[in-house]
Amino acid sequence: MEGYVATKLDDFDRGRISRRRLIEALTFAATSVAATGSAKAQTATPSLKVALVNHISYSCPNFKQAADWYSKVFNLDQVNPKATEVSLPFGKMDEQPMGISAKDVPVSFIIARASDRPANPRNASRPNPEAVIEHVGYTVADFNRERAKADLIAMGVKNVRDGGLYSLHLDDPFGYDVQISGLENNALTDG
Amino acid sequence: MERFIADLVKQYESGALDRREFCKTVALAATVYAAGDAAKAQAPRGFKMLGINHISYACPDYAKARDFYASVLGMDKTPGKDNGQRANLAFGPEPGKGGQFVVARTQRAAANPRPPAQSFVDHVCYTISNWSDERVTAGLKASGRPYTARPGNVNVLDPFNYPVQLANIEEETAWK
Repeated sequence: MEGYVATKLDDFDRGRISRRRLIEALTFAATSVAATGSAKAQTATPSLKVALVNHISYSCPNFKQAADWYSKVFNLDQVNPKATEVSLPFGKMDEQPMGISAKDVPVSFIIARASDRPANPRNASRPNPEAVIEHVGYTVADFNRERAKADLIAMGVKNVRDGGLYSLHLDDPFGYDVQISGLENNALTDG
Repeated sequence: MERFIADLVKQYESGALDRREFCKTVALAATVYAAGDAAKAQAPRGFKMLGINHISYACPDYAKARDFYASVLGMDKTPGKDNGQRANLAFGPEPGKGGQFVVARTQRAAANPRPPAQSFVDHVCYTISNWSDERVTAGLKASGRPYTARPGNVNVLDPFNYPVQLANIEEETAWK
């Protein structure tokens, strides 16, 4: 832009273009730059929109123990077992996730994985993350905090504690922080 | 129970309770007692899982994470839920009707630190409906973040190098 302005100014100084022509040219150039900037800003509008969590990949010292615990506490099936992992879907294969009408969005699931599984060579060059998922919140049906607390304690779940008005926090077998709540805990009410 | 029956016997002996009433009351007490025991003996059943509620994501600068998840993955910044330390980023169905959210927060030293867990969530995968390889890779390319792609499935590192996977239903279900 600066170079273009200098050229036009030079033309004006040398009498090659009129004052009016100079103003027109620079006005056009300046507004074109603004329009391009605006177009760039528009492309920042997200072209992607995630529909739902597909899965959470959970690494732990004993994936079978983790899977059994999540199965017991959340009534989850264990499917697709492999040597170092097993999946726990939040429903049956033909079920739709709650609130979803699109047919190409599967029910979410947890993959319980052995933390000592062989590393994926594709990830060898990945830098260490500076962020962590410090806990995961799960929505359960008919949540009643006091009743849920009693049930969790009766199931032998450790470190059950209140998590605000609508939820409880608890520890899974490996000390990972798990939160459970009903639908009342959501993006509009949490925090 | 023993005290209750002792009182009944006392009433029976004093004539306050006839034989028929005494027998009925003891039988009823026994039934109630047995029912209570059975209720106690019944193991609590697990919860019915409806879905992920939220993911609590802690990082050095929540605003940077917030902007990435909103601008690249299309999550919605929930009005009134950004306090300068954390923000709720909603996606999916409406809040309270199956909608999920990421809580992006700036990590701070906890007042009551917990013992470190032996486990961790090593990545989160999100489903993209109506998948298009071209659209997904174009969106990630525009973000400037490193990613790898194969049909129906991409892996991208967010601004704090946390691994995020995006996939379609052909590539990622619990049964695949």
